[in-house]
Amino acid sequence: MSKLGNRADWADDEEFDDPSALPAQQITTNKDGTKTVVSYRFNDEGKKVKVTRRIKTTVVREHVNPQVAERRSWAKFGLEKGHAPGPSFDTTSVGENIVFRPSINWKIQAQEEEKNPEKGSMKDQLKDKKVKCRICSGEHFTARCPFKDTMAPVDEPAGGAGGLEGGAEDAPAAGGLGATSGSYVPPHLRKGAAGGGERMAGKFEKDDLATLRVTNVSELAEEGELRDLFERFGRVTRVFLARDRETQRAKGFAFISFADRSDAARACEKMDGFGYRHLILRVEFAKRAT
Amino acid sequence: MRPILLAGHERALTQIKFNSDGDLLFSVSKDKIVCAWWSANGERLGTYNGHQGAIWTVDVSPNTVLLATGSADNTVRLWNVKTGECVKVWDFPTAVKRVEFSPDGSRLLAVTEKRMGFLGTIAVLDISYGENLENQADEPSLRITCTESKATVAGWSYMGKYIIAGHEDGSVSQYDEKTGEQLENVQVHEFDHQINDIQFSQDRTHFITASKDKSAKLMSTRNLAILKTYPADTPLNSATITPKKDYVILGGGQAAMDVTTTSARQGKFEARFYHKVFEDEIGRVRGHFGPLNTVDVHPAGTAYASGGEDGYVRVHHFDKPYFDFMYEVEREQLRK
Repeated sequence: MSKLGNRADWADDEEFDDPSALPAQQITTNKDGTKTVVSYRFNDEGKKVKVTRRIKTTVVREHVNPQVAERRSWAKFGLEKGHAPGPSFDTTSVGENIVFRPSINWKIQAQEEEKNPEKGSMKDQLKDKKVKCRICSGEHFTARCPFKDTMAPVDEPAGGAGGLEGGAEDAPAAGGLGATSGSYVPPHLRKGAAGGGERMAGKFEKDDLATLRVTNVSELAEEGELRDLFERFGRVTRVFLARDRETQRAKGFAFISFADRSDAARACEKMDGFGYRHLILRVEFAKRAT
Repeated sequence: MRPILLAGHERALTQIKFNSDGDLLFSVSKDKIVCAWWSANGERLGTYNGHQGAIWTVDVSPNTVLLATGSADNTVRLWNVKTGECVKVWDFPTAVKRVEFSPDGSRLLAVTEKRMGFLGTIAVLDISYGENLENQADEPSLRITCTESKATVAGWSYMGKYIIAGHEDGSVSQYDEKTGEQLENVQVHEFDHQINDIQFSQDRTHFITASKDKSAKLMSTRNLAILKTYPADTPLNSATITPKKDYVILGGGQAAMDVTTTSARQGKFEARFYHKVFEDEIGRVRGHFGPLNTVDVHPAGTAYASGGEDGYVRVHHFDKPYFDFMYEVEREQLRK
């Protein structure tokens, strides 16, 4: 850098014979030992550019063996004969940075590092993956489906989730039906026609297991706030805040469905009596809809 | 650390060597060219041209005046390091697999191949550093013939007292430097697993062997006792002992002929660092596309270089974590 500073800029050389001569390079020494070099040059568009550089010269004194110092002045020979000093690009290049930290348990660390990119790729995969509703095939979670309460999943194999839930109760009946295949099967028990009413009940039954009824909710409550409050205990699948049809104000009660019943139980325990918007919440497990 | 890649060779590297000050690095490969590099920035100082066959080995005299190379063209050549001129050629009946200057630089040993009815030998040549470097003795002053198993590598002990040789059958032997008499022979590696490299510590009181049997051993020069064993998961081609920090660096990888059937990751083309005393593997440095044929460490312990079957030399200048790493006991010791 310092060498460059003392020498005329390469751009100056070209413009040297230009009649519209550039002002000469000015070098001023500052108090703090640095030098300010002001030079002028033309840029690509032919405009005059003033370049101001502040240069600090540091002398790095390295003590080497006199033999080593003597060797530094050796001329190049062989295939390199006559080449300019400095590494040439066709033989010498700098590789990628390598992080090398010796450690006794480097193997475990290396394994973790190897795992992490995989984790990253998994995340990427999920990023690209579109969310698909099982009920209406829309781009939202099934739990958020607007038709959740009115429609059955589109391509769910018969006796899928709903069938399994009802399984415990219906087992003897279903078994009996299966055994006597020729006999009459009522429509709501037939394959491919999981009965609407039955299913709905089944569905609620499932939800009820992990749904909390929250009462004494402020009129000004928002679903988002409730979600935030309850999400601390586990994954919340649904937040329903009853609102007045005209005023859109909250009616004072809400249902919170959890993915996991144990989370719901914990939330019920902790949130019961919680002060929210000047009111004390009352949280209990939702009773079965009748 | 950012490795400096030296691409001066067109074929697999066979040996690399720092000079005693560590400012120069010499590399030889199967492409008949010897290269000299500045180790600090990777600039090529020059090449030494003249060999007619693959060059197997290189060594530089302790005062960096002469360079010796041994080649498959059955010659040992002596070069003027500064000018790149060949000052002496010794002809041998077979290829020369290893050359090494004695610690004082007054002698040079050359290991010759067993082939065409000739037994493997270790020849010792007297070297003089007069005004005229071409003035060298024509005949070896000593010739050791290996009747049982040929020597693959050899080196000088402390003060040039013994010649230590590694053999094709995995044994290491100790010869008297004056009479050439075999004083000891120890089977240190598995039988019939060739020893590919022997490198000495700076004071030459102990050395490390690298063998095809996937292990390296640290041995005492005086009585050939095995001090430490460093097991690896791949055949080893080279091993070196680092000064300043108590590590050893091992280089190896799948044999060249098996490389095409293995992926780069499985090929294990990495330099392995082990702690010299505790024998634990403490890290690896990857980068080569082929097995590491040779590794050498800067005499000050601040850098190391590796040469691979892929034709590249990679010079690594160590950075802080390398020097900072210490075992708990070492730290404890330091505090006292």
